[in-house]
Amino acid sequence: MSVVHERGNARIEANLTPMIDMTFLLIVFFVLVSRISEVENVPMELPRPEDPATVPPPEEGRVVLNILPGEGGSVEGYKVGAAQFAPTEDGVAALERHLVGLLSQNPDLDVNLRADRATAYADVSPALDAVAAAGRTADRAERTRINLVVVDDERRRRGP
Amino acid sequence: MTRHGAALAISRRARPRLTLNLTPMIDVVFQLLIYFLVSTNFALGEQVYRVDLPNREEGATADPFTLDEEPLRIELRPAGPVDSGLVGIRIEGPWPQPQDFEALFEFLRDRRLDADRPAGLFAPDHPILIDPTGEVRWDRTVDAFNAAVRAGYTNVGFAGGS
Repeated sequence: MSVVHERGNARIEANLTPMIDMTFLLIVFFVLVSRISEVENVPMELPRPEDPATVPPPEEGRVVLNILPGEGGSVEGYKVGAAQFAPTEDGVAALERHLVGLLSQNPDLDVNLRADRATAYADVSPALDAVAAAGRTADRAERTRINLVVVDDERRRRGP
Repeated sequence: MTRHGAALAISRRARPRLTLNLTPMIDVVFQLLIYFLVSTNFALGEQVYRVDLPNREEGATADPFTLDEEPLRIELRPAGPVDSGLVGIRIEGPWPQPQDFEALFEFLRDRRLDADRPAGLFAPDHPILIDPTGEVRWDRTVDAFNAAVRAGYTNVGFAGGS
């Protein structure tokens, strides 16, 4: 009996290492992306204007201010990043202080405002006032830039 | 076979092969990948309107050498139950009143001053103030804002609604 034959047939094995590497990288990417979007994109029904004259959102230098929708057009609070503020006078004052800190650190910061379509203007207005007041306190040049976030159905269908 | 050759064959066969079974790990990793792929929300189709917030404090940045341009004020009032989202649009001044946001857009577009319309009344940077009452829904406010931006105006803001 030959030595070669005794060792059996040749084993064909796929090298799985590159595939596992890629898969782990993809997982890390999606974990990070989902954590960021959980904080910034609170699920809500954004306004969908017809024929919107909108521009793409800025890629850099922005902070997202979410107005958390409650039942029947009410609000549960205001959320900037992970910080949440009550929809009371004290809460809005705290929101303003928080925004002053952010605007002072980065003079080119834009504020993206996300509000549910059913939210009453009375609950959006204090947030606008807080951003404007924070801009004044943080000594921004004349005006503070705010971006109203809406959904463009045409772009949504077309994809990114 | 020589004695030497037999010894070599045995030693080769006896060498233990340590292999790690990767199959369960790959299974779990793919499950995780599919979970995150499906659950990730990329905020598709989100677009923005850029608004320069005016200084809402009275007289805070008044320049005594410039004439104040009287802003065109567009008032929004609820016209029916709040849930219905119906609003009445009223343009302050002796203007024909628009019935809907498309009519508001046409009103503003036709009165914009530019090279094609030298008889236009409002320059593109004429201040326009959207003035909704507190009960008006946010999407109606955005519709009015959109009408002004679509009509080519660059200085559109909100009046204090509270």
